[in-house]
Amino acid sequence: MSDQPRPRVLVVDDEPQILRALRVILRESGFEALPASTGEEALDLAALQHPDAGIVDLLLPDIDGVELCRRLREWTDIPLIVLSAVGDEDAKVRALAAGADDYVTKPFGPRELVARLQANLRRIAPGPEEAEVHVDGLDVDLARRTVLIDGREVHLTPTEFDLLRLLVRNRGRLMTHRDLLVSVWGPGYGDDTQVLRAHIANLRRKIEPPEGRRYIRTDPGVGYRFAG
Amino acid sequence: MSPAQRTLPTERPGTLRASRPNLMLGIAAAVGSVAAATLAVYALKGLAPVVSLSVVYLPAVLLVSAYWGLWLGLATAFLSAAAFNFFHLPPVGRFTISDSRNWVALAAFTLVAVAVSTVADVARSRALEADRRRAEADLAAALARELLAGSETAAALAAAARRVAEALGLSSASIELGVSESSERRRALGLTGADGAQIATLLVPRRLSADAEQRLEAHVVPALEALVAIALRRDALQAEAVETAALRRSDDVKTAVLRAVSHDLRTPVTAIVAAGHALGSDSLTAGERTELSEAVVQEGEQLAALVDKLLDLSRLQAGRAEPRRDWVSLEDVVLAARDRLAESGGAVRIAIEPDVPPVRADAAHLERAFANLLENAVRYSGGLPVSVHVRRTGSQAVVRVVDQGPGIDAAERARIFEPFYRIPTRPASTSEPWPGSGLGLAIAKGFVEANDGTISVDSLPGQGSSFVVSLPIEEAAVSEHEPQPAAPLPT
Repeated sequence: MSDQPRPRVLVVDDEPQILRALRVILRESGFEALPASTGEEALDLAALQHPDAGIVDLLLPDIDGVELCRRLREWTDIPLIVLSAVGDEDAKVRALAAGADDYVTKPFGPRELVARLQANLRRIAPGPEEAEVHVDGLDVDLARRTVLIDGREVHLTPTEFDLLRLLVRNRGRLMTHRDLLVSVWGPGYGDDTQVLRAHIANLRRKIEPPEGRRYIRTDPGVGYRFAG
Repeated sequence: MSPAQRTLPTERPGTLRASRPNLMLGIAAAVGSVAAATLAVYALKGLAPVVSLSVVYLPAVLLVSAYWGLWLGLATAFLSAAAFNFFHLPPVGRFTISDSRNWVALAAFTLVAVAVSTVADVARSRALEADRRRAEADLAAALARELLAGSETAAALAAAARRVAEALGLSSASIELGVSESSERRRALGLTGADGAQIATLLVPRRLSADAEQRLEAHVVPALEALVAIALRRDALQAEAVETAALRRSDDVKTAVLRAVSHDLRTPVTAIVAAGHALGSDSLTAGERTELSEAVVQEGEQLAALVDKLLDLSRLQAGRAEPRRDWVSLEDVVLAARDRLAESGGAVRIAIEPDVPPVRADAAHLERAFANLLENAVRYSGGLPVSVHVRRTGSQAVVRVVDQGPGIDAAERARIFEPFYRIPTRPASTSEPWPGSGLGLAIAKGFVEANDGTISVDSLPGQGSSFVVSLPIEEAAVSEHEPQPAAPLPT
């Protein structure tokens, strides 16, 4: 990425100290911050500057962070990451439903925030399609539909493989229950979280050895992500 | 007839009484009615044959048999036969019965006496039974009223015991919760609950009539057992309801604390963590480094202030803010509160009238209260000065903290002293949020009230608010202490 221009990230938070620190942290990770302290300011900035991604605090002085996500989503597809608080699960889920891609819980570690940003930017600008994915003892051959754990082949049902493929290709990104259900089962199955849970449990039993290597992370009540 | 039965209270006119009238009265009635019948026969002799006039004695036999029973009835029958025989049947003046028809009269009188007295006895015992049942029902109803209508069982037991004593004619009775032992003078009757455990004890005199004994066992004890059990269950349910309400309130407080912690504590922590990470980056300019380290200090101070407030509030809510009272000059505490605020800026004008004596209070509490009030006023005043007036009104020292903020709607005024409550809407003119924790006014109120003061708010929406703290002035303060130095202080 060194010869590419720095991705520009809209940062919306009403706390100036947090904006200030994020500007430095993002610059350090190869991004350029576009700070805004209100929702209106953020909408103007997004329209004028066309950022590559957005970080939105859910608690803003003028418009609700969820509402801001919805309004941005009306005309832009950039990755949106919301800053939420523990105990504010409801707002988090509403933000994801309104079009946010991911969330980070306050107080967040900058590394976590940057990793989420990068994972979600990959969605917008995918690299050459990978035919094989190798992660820490897990080898997935997307073309031949085979999965190896420590070199040993594991048999997955077609649904399990489809789930795994979706997670692997979006590794690091939050995949909501709805994302997974609609992609694997079809648009009519968006609310069948029980079915999804059962298949994820089976998939985990097959690819995660009991001694504790974890590939699939659960975001309770929201979705799953592949730890890559 | 036992004396207890004779004391049964209710008697209906026009029917047989449950108890018999006095025996002497009966004898008098027997003699009197027989004499009257004898005289009547003299009068009637001209109208009918003497032999057939024996019926004139029947009312006497009927009357006495019905009201005084078989034996006096029989006596009246014999007396009637004898009188009829002696005064009217030949040979008059002698008891000799020459005519067998007179034996028939005697037999008829005897039969009437037996029949009437038996019927009357049956009726009387039915009436007695009915009275007794009614008395039991009345007693049960009275006990239910005493035990179930009151709010607390322990208090109702004495009244219930009094009812029992009255109804059974006992010299005394008492009911105690739990197990009590018999004593020399009193006998303990256990009242057991549905599970067989003794829930209370009825204490009655040692010596009871057989009837009282029987009624106690058959009616009073079972009724009391059921009623006391219900009353105790009701007490338990009431206590449970009170406890549940208290728990719910404390749950509300906990939820509010969690919400406050989740936002108000997290924001400075997030800023500090982020600034800490940013400070580690290599590309920092000197200006950025200064900004970031200032941010760490500032946010840390904010965090410390919030923790102080949470501690104040939890102390107040736990009732552990016991004031250490001493003579406190309101000037001192108001100035100290303003100094505490000085760093965050905001003009505060203080005017103290000369005749305000010191109050008896905890200086640290009052300083915390006024610091929170001033912080609140400065925050909402939007840069315009806040003024503080201290003056005396009667036996009260009154401190008014007046801001020029947006004011508070009437609907909000009752709630602003609740912990964690923040006025939800911000005026459109400013993009700045109300940044407070929602704790300041609750803490101010808590400390003022812990020192026997009151706090209230007046507000004109659009023009500002005025928080009024009144503290009692003790008479000693006026005589012992010189008035405060006059002149409003410069700000």
